[in-house]
Amino acid sequence: MEQSTRPLEGLKVVELSIAIAAPSCGRMLAYFGADVMKLESLQYPDVVRLFGSAWARTPEYAAVFTDTSPYLPEMNANKRSIGLNLKVAAAVDAAKKLVANADVFLTNYSTPAVTDLGLDAATLRELNPRLIYAALPAFGSDPSLPYYPFISWGPNQAPLVGLDAVTGFPDQEPAGVASFAPPDYFAGLHALMAVLTALEARDQTGEGSWVDLSQFGTTVAALGPYLLDEQLSGTVVERTGNRSAWYAPQGVYPSRGEDRWVAVSVTDDAAWQGLAAVLDLAGPAATGGDNGFAADAGLATAEGRRAQHDRLDAALVAWSSGRSAAQAAVELQAVGVAAHPVNDTEAMLVDPQLAEYRWYQAVPSFRFPDGDLVGGCALRLEDTPGYWEWAFPTMGEHTTEALASVAGLSEAEIAELVEQGAAYVPAEPELTLHRPYQHMLGLLGLKGAPR
Amino acid sequence: MNPPSFPAPTTGAQPWAGLKVVERDGLCSSYATRLWAALGAEVVVLEPPGGHAYRHLPPFAPGTGEPEGSLWWAFLAQNKRSVVIEPGSDTEQALLAAADVVFDEPAPPVVAPSPRHDRQVYVAITPFGLRGPRANWRGSDLVAWAAAGLSYVTGFPDRPPVALSSMNFASHVTAMQALGAAMMALFARKQTGRGQLVDLSMQQANAALHPEVGVPLVLDDAVHRGRSGNRRAVSRPWGLYPCTDGYASVIIVQPAHWMNMAAWLVEVTGVEALADPAFNDMAVRWEAAEFIDAMTEQLTSEMSKQDLFVEGQRRNIPITPVNTVADLSRDPHLEASGFWVDADHPVIGPHRSPGAPFSGGPDWWSWTRAPLLGEHTDEVLASWTAWS
Repeated sequence: MEQSTRPLEGLKVVELSIAIAAPSCGRMLAYFGADVMKLESLQYPDVVRLFGSAWARTPEYAAVFTDTSPYLPEMNANKRSIGLNLKVAAAVDAAKKLVANADVFLTNYSTPAVTDLGLDAATLRELNPRLIYAALPAFGSDPSLPYYPFISWGPNQAPLVGLDAVTGFPDQEPAGVASFAPPDYFAGLHALMAVLTALEARDQTGEGSWVDLSQFGTTVAALGPYLLDEQLSGTVVERTGNRSAWYAPQGVYPSRGEDRWVAVSVTDDAAWQGLAAVLDLAGPAATGGDNGFAADAGLATAEGRRAQHDRLDAALVAWSSGRSAAQAAVELQAVGVAAHPVNDTEAMLVDPQLAEYRWYQAVPSFRFPDGDLVGGCALRLEDTPGYWEWAFPTMGEHTTEALASVAGLSEAEIAELVEQGAAYVPAEPELTLHRPYQHMLGLLGLKGAPR
Repeated sequence: MNPPSFPAPTTGAQPWAGLKVVERDGLCSSYATRLWAALGAEVVVLEPPGGHAYRHLPPFAPGTGEPEGSLWWAFLAQNKRSVVIEPGSDTEQALLAAADVVFDEPAPPVVAPSPRHDRQVYVAITPFGLRGPRANWRGSDLVAWAAAGLSYVTGFPDRPPVALSSMNFASHVTAMQALGAAMMALFARKQTGRGQLVDLSMQQANAALHPEVGVPLVLDDAVHRGRSGNRRAVSRPWGLYPCTDGYASVIIVQPAHWMNMAAWLVEVTGVEALADPAFNDMAVRWEAAEFIDAMTEQLTSEMSKQDLFVEGQRRNIPITPVNTVADLSRDPHLEASGFWVDADHPVIGPHRSPGAPFSGGPDWWSWTRAPLLGEHTDEVLASWTAWS
């Protein structure tokens, strides 16, 4: 098939970012063809570069350690790395020349930080009136607001915005969302919406805009209905474990094996009839009692089932414990009940739906020419799909070419910047690496061209 | 550069004014279409005569019930228009055919849908995608968390995995992904002149939140990621600590932040050893987790979460409170930032909702209350299908 043009081909984005929120937005733009130039410093590397691989903590890899983090492709696939030490005035001038020829400046640095660097909205918008300046500071860009100077990042946004207090079981302290940071990705998705909206507005008016997104506000809004409830009735929503305010039964039930579980939601009365038939058929030995669920009129409605949730849970636990999670899910789906094994990371690797869509792909990079693993993008456009071209850039990989072609610097000017430590080019360019799992890529079906 | 995505009425209006969007019944696009509508898109919700699914979900406003009193509906249907229509009717088909963008959540067995005309963007949202062995499997918010690898790593190791199941958070994430895809397809339409099908899987939408415990990481270091309760198994302090009125989150990575924290801990506990520079290394603090936790708890348990937040931040330490909805309703920053927008609803009465998630042009956002059942049926039928 002839390669289609991706929707954002030709769009130039300069990204000054850290961790997840802004990078996850830039990554989606890059997936759809935008030229996303990430400004990176060797002195103050993006935190995801600091989580280098354990196997690379040896002197022989010291110079390229920041290229080994397996997080890198997850946040920065398809981007270009422009190595600039922004503490040096000449580097800031070079960055401004990039921005002067760009469509979007995307940052999640704090407002004081970008202002100190001279890369604040007022300065850059004056430089380039068509620029879309998209900033995602934790608490917005208005210095008069109470939390303006506060520091925050993904993991401790979840408690702040109200997610942690509602995660967990009612009989114990909040479990919180401790292992990953939903607010970061949620902010990134809002930033995508903001940037595309600003581009649409620019196509109509010819002018850029300043998009100011407070990470705090974006995720608080996800609690909308419960904020209204508190306001109107004084009710403070509590933790409910895995139970739902409307589906019953719903839960995560143990299955055969160590720490194996199946998630089950009975989303309507017809699904309940399916589940009831399965449990009744399994009989007393498998469900802990002669239940007669299907014939029990008291269980025909969600309200009735909610009143007997503990009893239904007990029967489900007895039934699911004797099966593998996959078998339980297949049996329940066959009768129209929403169910799925609780995937751990290893299960994600072999999940049949994710495999069908090639969610994980080995994509080459400068440092890993035989391929490095990239997780997918959920935006599946059938006719003009995005795709991965490289897993992630090596620190400073595109400094020379971007400063020449986008910023318009001469070869001598670029050499001078590198010479004075204002710009970086890749360390040890001849050194290529392999992941410990490289030999398994073919076996796992992860090799080959993307798309 | 590019022409506008659609015939916009006038320049300077809301960015998406003039765009016709149809939303069919379902839970997984509403969050985002609420925002798109506030940015000017004309979002029409096609409701079956009994009302959209969200109209039936508790909580309800005090003294109200279905179909107008659901606070899910009151929040998620803001800025939209309600058209009551018999599913499968000719009128429904005519409205679908008039749309620039359709959000649909087809029920199994799924026949791959297609746009109704050449320029239409058709977003089909399903639990697992339109193809593959589980294309017809049913889903839910809880099931999406499970299938996306998110539940497994959430909760305490000695209890079952948990999800944000009462929040519909996975549905909202899906909605934002669906919106991004729809907008992207409109940009493609500027180049090709054609719309297209978008295959949006709820599992994939949420798998995008998995990288911190993701496959590339686990294959690289061969360390299984499990549940670690409310403190992450990386360093200390890293997680929730009890205080006088609940919990506060203390998560410290950078050495400078730790040094500020150590100074405060020494003030409170008198234990000088905490100032030992060895602890500046987060790996060393992880080895001494029990000690660091005990000292941190001694500090936090004497203060309220808001005091810990404000005083911690004054000392340049990333501490945040574990807020409840009651705390957020009264949060001074949200209040001062103009976060809330007011609405008055004939059944629910006056209320305020979270407003714009970002600022942009001065005329970008406008907010209206959720529509009554069928409130715009006549108006939309007249204006959308008059030409057909």
